[in-house]
Amino acid sequence: MLALLVGACGHLPREDSGPGATSAPWPADVPPRIELTRTPFFPQDDHQCGPAALATALGASGISVQPAELVGEVYVPARKGSLQAEMLATTRRRGRIAYRIEPTFDALARAVAGGEPVVVLLNLGVRSWPIWHYAVVIGYEREGEKILLRSGRTERARLSWRRFRGAWSRAGNWGFIALTPGTVPAGATAAAYAAAVADFERDDRPGALRAYAAGSARWPDEPLLRLGTANVLSAQGDRAGAEQALRDLLARRPADAAARNNLAELLSQRGCRDAALAQIAIAKSHARATPLAPLIEATAREIDARPADPAASCP
Amino acid sequence: MIMSFRGSVVALTLAAFVTAVVPAPARAALIDTNTAVAATQRAANLARVDSVLARAEVAQRLTDLGVSPQSAHERAAALTDAELANFATQLENAPAGGDILAVIGIVFVVLMILEFTGVIDIFKKV
Repeated sequence: MLALLVGACGHLPREDSGPGATSAPWPADVPPRIELTRTPFFPQDDHQCGPAALATALGASGISVQPAELVGEVYVPARKGSLQAEMLATTRRRGRIAYRIEPTFDALARAVAGGEPVVVLLNLGVRSWPIWHYAVVIGYEREGEKILLRSGRTERARLSWRRFRGAWSRAGNWGFIALTPGTVPAGATAAAYAAAVADFERDDRPGALRAYAAGSARWPDEPLLRLGTANVLSAQGDRAGAEQALRDLLARRPADAAARNNLAELLSQRGCRDAALAQIAIAKSHARATPLAPLIEATAREIDARPADPAASCP
Repeated sequence: MIMSFRGSVVALTLAAFVTAVVPAPARAALIDTNTAVAATQRAANLARVDSVLARAEVAQRLTDLGVSPQSAHERAAALTDAELANFATQLENAPAGGDILAVIGIVFVVLMILEFTGVIDIFKKV
């Protein structure tokens, strides 16, 4: 089983002599060799590879924090380990977006080549007797197929691709980046990026806005990023800005039911009953048999019950 | 093969649980971004499953076993977000050299469909 709690940390050798016989699926367009040498190093105490790996990733993104300061947030003494969910939540609490990379070597190599160290979960044991370990991938050497990591007491572990692949895959190829709001990692997907920023909204609204803007610049047609922008603006009290963001979205994606619903709700809140009813009717027609349908029905009932404001300036 | 498949299903279910989005109650308001993300992911996963169910070889094999592809779709649509995500991922990672519909692949994929959609439980009871 893939532990929700990661137990005692394992140990990576400084160097292993594993053969490079199995060829790693390198992305075609990454440099042959990468080492993010400015990534900080925190030799871990005892079992605390979680706090150490997190401090390493946060430090690389410009957040200076000691592993000891993170222990209370991510370390569970009874299990001598750190929850994956807590690793992500603590990243967000410290002002960074926890971007879960796609569970592929391609995504890992692209992220590192793009300058982002990646926190990875490894299983250094076997599936039935796991030894969980967090480390930070800081580079690779394509020739000889080596993966470079900050790990435990080892500042620069140089692991054969083969050994790394086994340990990483036994941990479900789990990994994340502590992302500075406003930067988009190389090799990211719009859906995973939007999901990561959505989780960050409550922690840092201005940061989430910057992240959504950067995402929309990269993926102009991704509706979730514009929806997120509108939601953060609305939460900040900027309803006009939110409405504009939704109209931008709908100009590109007229069938987006969530955006229609939210535009209808904003119109209704400022007294534009007829415009709101028109929008929610379109939302309903696009949301049939989707998980959003009951939410949109509820919005429609509320809009219907809300009186129009004759003084409102409506579209 | 099936045991290890089940083991990995359990593992993935646990892993997905960490990030599972709690279904929002049906209340009127702005649809928050997390809810929209979950709905979008769900739609994409269902489309991935349906694209496999729609393939003639799979549909035929399911029909041979007395399961209509339509009922398989309905059962898939009734899965939780996490279950559906696992199902779609498992289908995509199914073995048999890239094309899951090589001969062994069809059997495997159909077993997977039966397992995930709960039809296999019916077989056990017979």
